[in-house]
Amino acid sequence: MTQKLACLVEHIADHGERVYTVGLRPARRAPRFRAGQFLHLTLDPYNAGGFWPDSRVFSIASSPSRPDRLSISYSVRGRYTARMEHELSVGREVWVKMPYGDFVIAKDRPVVLFAGGTGISAFTAFLEDLPSADPQPVTLVYGARRTSLLVYRETVERCQTRAGALATHYFAEDASSWEAGSSDVHPGRVSAAAVWAQLPQPCATAFYISGPPAMLQTVSDDLRAHGVTREAIHIDAWE
Amino acid sequence: METGDELRAQIATLVRRYHDARFGDTPFVPGKDLVHYAGRVFDADELCRLVDASLDFYLTANRYADHFEAEFAEYLGLSHAILVNSGSSANLVALTALTSPKLGARRLKPGDEVVTVAAGFPTTVAPILQNNLVPVFVDVRLGDYTADPERLRDAIGPKTRAIMMAHTLGVPFDLDVVSQLAEAHHLWVVEDNCDALGSRYRGRLTGSFGHLATSSFYPAHHITMGEGGAVVTNDDLLARIARSVRDWGRDCYCSGGENNTCGTRFGQQCGTLPRGFDHKYVYSHLGYNLKVTDMQAAIGCAQLQKLDTFVSHRKANFARLMEILQPYADRLLLPTATAHSDPSWFGFVITVRDQAGFTRDDLVKYLEAHRIETRSLFAGNLLRHPAFQDVPRRVVGPLTNSDIVTNQTFFIGVYPGLDTPRLDYIEDVFARFMRGERQPAPSLISVARGR
Repeated sequence: MTQKLACLVEHIADHGERVYTVGLRPARRAPRFRAGQFLHLTLDPYNAGGFWPDSRVFSIASSPSRPDRLSISYSVRGRYTARMEHELSVGREVWVKMPYGDFVIAKDRPVVLFAGGTGISAFTAFLEDLPSADPQPVTLVYGARRTSLLVYRETVERCQTRAGALATHYFAEDASSWEAGSSDVHPGRVSAAAVWAQLPQPCATAFYISGPPAMLQTVSDDLRAHGVTREAIHIDAWE
Repeated sequence: METGDELRAQIATLVRRYHDARFGDTPFVPGKDLVHYAGRVFDADELCRLVDASLDFYLTANRYADHFEAEFAEYLGLSHAILVNSGSSANLVALTALTSPKLGARRLKPGDEVVTVAAGFPTTVAPILQNNLVPVFVDVRLGDYTADPERLRDAIGPKTRAIMMAHTLGVPFDLDVVSQLAEAHHLWVVEDNCDALGSRYRGRLTGSFGHLATSSFYPAHHITMGEGGAVVTNDDLLARIARSVRDWGRDCYCSGGENNTCGTRFGQQCGTLPRGFDHKYVYSHLGYNLKVTDMQAAIGCAQLQKLDTFVSHRKANFARLMEILQPYADRLLLPTATAHSDPSWFGFVITVRDQAGFTRDDLVKYLEAHRIETRSLFAGNLLRHPAFQDVPRRVVGPLTNSDIVTNQTFFIGVYPGLDTPRLDYIEDVFARFMRGERQPAPSLISVARGR
């Protein structure tokens, strides 16, 4: 059930290299949503009786169990996100409409989540809500340009401490960033090949990919080359 | 110059004054004023919201529709409410949704059977036939007028895939049996909750049991928006399908006036269309256009706030009518609730007993002549109507009670617009009839006025 909500920007985390996480406090309780769904955010004023202004879509990174808080992550990629970088400040009002989308992770089979950059935000709510005694095997393959841009790594590690069935593989493209003491961060880009041998039951597994378009294509092609059916591959695609 | 908001506030003030001038209380004149069986009950809030929505001039569903859908789903404790333009449309959308290819092997296919009752409202059954499914008719019980649970058990056959029935005039059907049958036979359940908003079964609101349920907001119903209805569900996929069926069958879920809500309007591969074909015009169902306007939804928002009070009034009026008519229980079969249910009554149903000494028509004509509105229990036995006589169907057991409903049953109102003077008048008119009076008495008006 979609709703339009005024929200106050509560905090902005600058991760460097024009990557940000924005915390929002809705004026009223956010509608029920599912982990993996997304919202539209507009910087322009919205008159509740009028047309919805220009907006952009962002995965809801926060947990559905906290309807009083919402968070999104973005990297500056075009004019609108450049506006966001320039105009968003703590205390400012923005409007969101939500929830949308069916990029919802199956809970009845092993899953592998491929996340590139801020694409991780499509998975964070799912990871945060993993029950502690959940036997569902979950593998997260998470990469970014630099180790410092694995912005949800702490969150993931916290989830991993709680949910034992969560396996993680980190990648960073910039070699200098991982050589500096990040032994568990592998050099290179997220790929299926890098983790394929370690997957417990690839045939029974569902694969989810969220990240930049090139990564979506590469990982998807890689999975298909490994014999994964089209139906088992779920892509969080944006234009 | 005044701003739009200031002018809007002035208009709202005027609308409140208009309401008081146009719709303020007028004293009831017994025998002259019609005692309605149902009707809109409203105050200045409904008018103000209606005008407020009209001043937006968005026209199609917008902020009020969003608000109503959210609040209505919340009321029922469900995830989704989809506004449509009537309860009948809601039934059509709900059942059609179950035929969606998106449901895979679980979808209803032509020739599959849907169990329902023979005595009721036609548009509970029509969607079954409109979707090339086969209705399986069972009889109702007298008193609560819901499906006989034993007949329901007998009705399940190898082709049976769903149960779709109404909570008749507010009385919940046996949800224990229906739930058991649904689980045991993997059946879809659609609750036609159009006449039962606010009814409870084992403490839980009807409309929240089935895979899908429907509501009506026609003026005769528990709340109104003039023309309106809703499909509700807890299932995300069914909600998406229902919206598609409502909105021309399109795959896109943008609201009116919106674009690219999915973020992939020009980036999808659908059917054998060229990749990137405008998703706004991709159709995944054979759908309809059954949407409401934001003006209708605005009225609904005001009505929804009054729902609990309306339900209380309906129950109180029902109790008073039961008190009034109990002395005639030897001649009138009075309504009963099903076990474990707490009905939010739609009407007060009466079946004239065989040995009453008068017929249903005698009593109804007398009441109507005395300006007390009556209604049949809708169609009575649907199979006796021209539209249903030759339709494909299966009938389980005799429809004896459905025929009794056709010939001997009617109902009067319990709606919140009935106040003490009107209920007193009903008491007086029934008393006169039961004493043997068969013609309107010229003195009736003055007698009733003197109460």
